[in-house]
Amino acid sequence: MRTLMPTVLSAVVSFALLIGGAGAADKIRVVATTTDLKALTEAVGGDLVDADALARGNQNPHDLEVRPSLMVKVRRADLLVMNGLELDQWAEVVIQGANNPKVIPGAPGRVDASQGILVLEVPTTRVDRSMGDVHPLGNPHYTLDPGMAPAITGNILEGLSRAAPQSRATFERNRKEFLARLDDAMAGWTRMMAPLKGARVIVDHNLWPYFLTRFGLLQANSIEERPGIPPTPGHLTKLIAVMKEERIKVILAAPWGDQKLADRIAQETGAKVVPMASAVGAVKGADNYLDTIDYNVKAVAQALR
Amino acid sequence: MYTRIGLFLVVLVQLCSAPAMAQEADALRKELEELRKQFGAMKDAYEKSINTLSERIQAIESRAQPSAVAPAVAAPAASAPPEQAVSQAPAGGQPSLMELARPREPFSLYQRRGAGQLLFDMGITGDFIGNLTQDNVQKASGGTFSGRENRFFPREIELNLFGQIDPYARAEVRIEAGEEERGQEITVKLAEATISLMTLPFGTQAKLGQMRNRFGLTNVIHEHDLPFIDRPNVLVKFLGEEGLVEKGAEFTWVPPLPFFLELLGGVFNGDNETAFGLGSIKYPLVTGRARTFFDFEEWGAIQLGMSVANGLTSERLRNTILGADAKYKYKPDGWQQAFLTVAGEALYQMRRVNVSGEDVDGDGVPDTPDEKRNRNRFGWWAYGELRPFRFGPLSLWSAGFRYDWTEYPQNPGHEWAAQPYLSFAPSEFLRFRLGYKHTERSLRDGINLNGGSARSVDELLFQATFILGAHPAHPF
Repeated sequence: MRTLMPTVLSAVVSFALLIGGAGAADKIRVVATTTDLKALTEAVGGDLVDADALARGNQNPHDLEVRPSLMVKVRRADLLVMNGLELDQWAEVVIQGANNPKVIPGAPGRVDASQGILVLEVPTTRVDRSMGDVHPLGNPHYTLDPGMAPAITGNILEGLSRAAPQSRATFERNRKEFLARLDDAMAGWTRMMAPLKGARVIVDHNLWPYFLTRFGLLQANSIEERPGIPPTPGHLTKLIAVMKEERIKVILAAPWGDQKLADRIAQETGAKVVPMASAVGAVKGADNYLDTIDYNVKAVAQALR
Repeated sequence: MYTRIGLFLVVLVQLCSAPAMAQEADALRKELEELRKQFGAMKDAYEKSINTLSERIQAIESRAQPSAVAPAVAAPAASAPPEQAVSQAPAGGQPSLMELARPREPFSLYQRRGAGQLLFDMGITGDFIGNLTQDNVQKASGGTFSGRENRFFPREIELNLFGQIDPYARAEVRIEAGEEERGQEITVKLAEATISLMTLPFGTQAKLGQMRNRFGLTNVIHEHDLPFIDRPNVLVKFLGEEGLVEKGAEFTWVPPLPFFLELLGGVFNGDNETAFGLGSIKYPLVTGRARTFFDFEEWGAIQLGMSVANGLTSERLRNTILGADAKYKYKPDGWQQAFLTVAGEALYQMRRVNVSGEDVDGDGVPDTPDEKRNRNRFGWWAYGELRPFRFGPLSLWSAGFRYDWTEYPQNPGHEWAAQPYLSFAPSEFLRFRLGYKHTERSLRDGINLNGGSARSVDELLFQATFILGAHPAHPF
């Protein structure tokens, strides 16, 4: 026993040093809390970054289980890109268990992607949990609005430049190229959505205020009466009545939401459930940021026609 | 006569007012023209303001903002030579000695919160217990909540304060109150107060202060966060009702491996009276733990751990407790909660004890000498919890079952217990549990106080838990 312990420990140390040193100088290791932020990091970092995400695209990012496998990812990160509006508060526990000083609060390896964003739905009155799982800093789903990408990628650019200042010019070039592609796509999306301005939709969770505002659509109501709390039968009855009265024909549904409930409401009201890409990788075909927005725009436009 | 005069006056007034009316119409026309001009000017001004605002919004959206943490290290300009830029960033995020010596304010960490806000998080958790059992069990104080049988009481009302002290360390303070004995005043005490140093080199961290030790699977978990109503029997028997709560320091190292491995070493006073109790850092309680984790994605995930605690009892005799634990969760893709959780923990105690000489012939004088003996004892528990529904009202319910088996750490004999329970959580912050626990003990010794007996115990247990304010996410 006495001789076994030092042997095991020295083997672990040697292996860790070997693994830790290997490939460290190659790329900037970036961990983003969501797949949207990962995709935007890849757009700016290009070949110079090795990006990974903590939450998968089809997972509800509000309340992720803090698995030690997430700590492994953060342990090796040079940079951590976070939502910044408390969507990914669980990441703080991951960081505490990862023992990586580069990404703790206040460290230069931490990027708050929400800096400079015009945040919607910031509470102007006192909030408490009787209102459900409210976000006191405002709605955190800003990545779903392509118009926010310039600000987000700007924050990522600054973070990457802190990690690798010598590559700043490359990051700037990558970002510029990405934003040019985004501009082209945006012109098409705006054209496609222009005739639908003012159309009203129902959502399952309050994920879409940025997306809807961008394209001039209106959120008439939500299946969730209060965020994060299953709807009461009374709320569903009212919702169905409103949908029938106002002839609202589209329900936007996240892949992690209650699909059966959305289908039931659609059946009652003659509406159509539109499975939306709530993040990059959430549905088939939403493999990168531009494809994800493109998927959502086309899905909504088709449903509203 | 009067009628004629009246008629004359009316005609006269009308004749005089005709030019005045024409003048009034002109004035009105001019006024309308003026208003139209003013309205046009206002419209132009508003359009101009809207255009300016739109431009500002576009400018803000496209502007690259430095992140909140940027003030710690200014982003170098693109034109700056790489060497200069590199020298601005501390290598690997480690603070230099000069930086550590410099007085600092953590305000940049919290600029999003605005004026008048706290610089740390605060939360309160409340945990209430109700239990019903036989009168003889109450008499013998042999229930799960010893001394509080057949009562409803606050087990743990906890004030949690936690946050960053500065860019290098965080602190957690927990003050708790609860009923510990029937009819006694509720006591308020310091449950935990720790400083965690987050920026030590080579992936290490240090946590010092008073803390729940990271020993085994459930010792570190607070009462309100336990996945069942009461702490497992083996932990209560081997480490006391509160578990292992010590003053000292823990050091962890997470090596940069492709899989998760956490190695922990700790040095503590050894104040725990049930297992150790010497209470001196000169002869410390030393703890160790290794924890690993394997994520099988759609097939779930498993955590495995091994622990050791080695210290001296108040009799200056050595006690070593070894632990092994495992936890498996199966969460189908897209589910928010685990469909199935299975976990278990086993403890093995190797304790030296003083045994007094025996009086064999009954003359009141020990016939055999005092001696030291080994008390090697074993205990374990396992539980499973099922949450079969993903959505709808039934998704708020889960059902679990725990089985306990443990020997007594010093006395002979053992006990086992079986406990099915139901859990209902209307939200993440409110939970109710109802359970039934049956305990069987092999001996009456030590559990037959006041003429009562607690050899066979049946208990109906109720738990209500709330979380108010901030509460960190739960680890796996």
